[in-house]
Amino acid sequence: MAFNGHQREDEGIDEDETPTKQPRSEKEMPGCFKTEPHNEASASAGRSTSERRTSNSTMRHRADSVKKTRPPFPWFGMDIGGTLVKLVYFEPKDITAEEEQEEVENLKSIRRYLTSNTAYGKTGIRDVHLELQDLTLCGRTGNLHFIRFPTHDLPAFLQMGRNKHFSSLHTTLCATGGGAYKFESDFRTMADLQLHKLDELDCLIRGVLYIDSVMSSGPSECYYFENPTDPDHCVQKPYTLENPYPLLLVNIGSGVSILAVYSESNYKRVTGTSLGGGTFLGLCCLLTGCSTFEEALEMASQGESTRVDKLVRDIYGGDYERFGLPGWAVASSFGNMMSKEKRESVSKEDLARATLVTITNNIGSITRMCALNENIERVVFVGNFLRVNTLSMKLLAYAMDYWSKGQLKALFLRHEGYFGAVGALLELLHPS
Amino acid sequence: NKSKSFPWFGMDIGGTLVKLVYFEPVDITAEEEQEEVENLKSIRRYLTSNVAYGKTGVRDVHLELRNLTMCGRTGNLHFIRFPTQAMPRFIQMGHDKNFSSLHTTLCATGGGAYKFENDFRTMADLELLKLDELDCLIRGLLYVDRVGFNGHPECYYFQNPSDTQSCVKKPCTLEDPFPMLLVNIGSGVSILAVYSENNYKRVTGTSLGGGTFLGLCCLLTGCETFEEALEMASKGDSTNVDKLVKDIYGGDYERFGLQGSAVASSFGHMMSKEKRDSISKEDLARATLVTITNNIGSIARMCAVNEKIERVVFVGNFLRINTVSTKLLAYAMDFWSKGQLRALFLEHEGYFGAVGALMELLKTTEDP
Repeated sequence: MAFNGHQREDEGIDEDETPTKQPRSEKEMPGCFKTEPHNEASASAGRSTSERRTSNSTMRHRADSVKKTRPPFPWFGMDIGGTLVKLVYFEPKDITAEEEQEEVENLKSIRRYLTSNTAYGKTGIRDVHLELQDLTLCGRTGNLHFIRFPTHDLPAFLQMGRNKHFSSLHTTLCATGGGAYKFESDFRTMADLQLHKLDELDCLIRGVLYIDSVMSSGPSECYYFENPTDPDHCVQKPYTLENPYPLLLVNIGSGVSILAVYSESNYKRVTGTSLGGGTFLGLCCLLTGCSTFEEALEMASQGESTRVDKLVRDIYGGDYERFGLPGWAVASSFGNMMSKEKRESVSKEDLARATLVTITNNIGSITRMCALNENIERVVFVGNFLRVNTLSMKLLAYAMDYWSKGQLKALFLRHEGYFGAVGALLELLHPS
Repeated sequence: NKSKSFPWFGMDIGGTLVKLVYFEPVDITAEEEQEEVENLKSIRRYLTSNVAYGKTGVRDVHLELRNLTMCGRTGNLHFIRFPTQAMPRFIQMGHDKNFSSLHTTLCATGGGAYKFENDFRTMADLELLKLDELDCLIRGLLYVDRVGFNGHPECYYFQNPSDTQSCVKKPCTLEDPFPMLLVNIGSGVSILAVYSENNYKRVTGTSLGGGTFLGLCCLLTGCETFEEALEMASKGDSTNVDKLVKDIYGGDYERFGLQGSAVASSFGHMMSKEKRDSISKEDLARATLVTITNNIGSIARMCAVNEKIERVVFVGNFLRINTVSTKLLAYAMDFWSKGQLRALFLEHEGYFGAVGALMELLKTTEDP
């Protein structure tokens, strides 16, 4: 039954899928460029950059006019969350010989360090599969890199910033997430860095709208699951977020925020729930002895939550027909665990699975109520709880579809938890 | 006005507990007593002269409704509960006491009325009259509120729920009760919007209910009963377990009105081995209680807003002897709605389904 995600699964993203999206025309570019009337970057991004390279002189002329408003390198966007720090870094690929000569040593070293490694220290990781190549931002062309490390290791990161004399680069460090506030003074005292603090939800929305609009070689950013209620035919499909409004945006990090988005600059935080990714990981660690998100997911993929949960049929002996509750629906999560006998008969994998299913279904249920109340049919799920977590994505897709009788559609984005950081980067380049 | 034959029972077979209400007539005439069959007398004596039955059956004496008039008879209404796990033994007892010879209808609600229907028939030759649990809940609730609790109000709320010093329990009545949002917290949770006695809808539910609290507590702390779990929770500090807004922001998240003391991520600290090693079982029990309670409160609030209802009534045995949760719910409703919503509670918590089943048996309008 797909309801607990327990099915034969084709894990992972279909990398060889051809995006069906057409390149956007100029006028459809996202509003992040609206403050730069002469910014030729609004002409296109991604694929069509090569066309513009031939008209070098025009580009150079126009590039000069925005040079004044363009911040110095390096270009970072940072999102310091409750569990993870998300960092996006723009690596320029159009550096002229002259520029390279003038480039200060520590800037060069930062660029080399970040781009020639995929792991940093013990816990830092660059998600290479998410790299966006040949992007044009603010008149420069380059690659956008996506890096993450545990918030717990921020002190080590600050130490590195100090060692590399990051502060001498006089660059603004745009940061969002709670940690931008919590660690503001640490940045100052430990690395002599001034943070430009930004709201995490503003950045999230800005980042989502930007990334989706960017054409890149590779799979479509946005996707959904076709036939989520049919385990044998459930397949990932690309989706175009054209005319995205109104949209319900569900950000599943340590905790959850649910936003109703009516336009790029008009949104509200509808509600939230404290039962999020942090709850899943915390409970799993306690119940199974695992220590990482990846371990917890691995266990969950092998468990059977119906041994742990009390289902409607366990109470009714079948369906609760009067109110349309099928026998396989969960009546009481972990409800079987009050029995010593049952506690002794379940495995750690079953417990991990039940934790995943419980948290995921609760988010799905609350989301559905919000969608109903706000009269919105499209729900986009983001956040690092969904990273490498196809189980939860399929569960959410299933739940949205099933309980709404097909009225609601669950959408997902490849860059999952990085949108806040992207939004922060955009604020650096195009201050609102 | 031929009254139904005794005994008069109403039964609610839930996911965790069986709730039984029994009407004990006190106006038995000498003639009636003489005619009374032996097993009926024995049932009456067994139930009213004990407060515990077997290992797990309990009569909640403090909830007894005295000198009630039902269907022209005067008597006491008794409230009895035992774990659904002990159902086979109960049915066996019905068989041993030759209950079927009394030819009484056994009105039963709850999922178990469907699940155990066959067992009643085969093991004790008893035919159940199956009733819907939510119909019975509403009927029972309105009845008890109308007749009152031995001269006192059945319904109560908390005044100043946000202030631990001056937070005080206050009685009230459900006069003009509609519309009301009814949140039934048993093993799982059902949320109903009630517009009149016969007009209601099940708005939604959540599977994170009382069964989740108890199941998780047993796993996390090694406790075995609801009472143990609550005892531990009363001594713990959930903020050692939960990641608060201030743990992430260093203070309030002002932009969206989230105080630093609000929980951002339940159990969020538990991903750190260091923190796992530093907390107690009591902290875990408390965090479980707070997490489940706040989740229910949050969902209830969303429903109240959606349905445009200001009164939220919480019932169900999750709230039995559970002042921590009732106060938390009262606080949450008040705080997050900026005083727009009011949380109400009822003394007979989880028994309304069984009362409703009894009423169906009698199909009576009560005499006040």
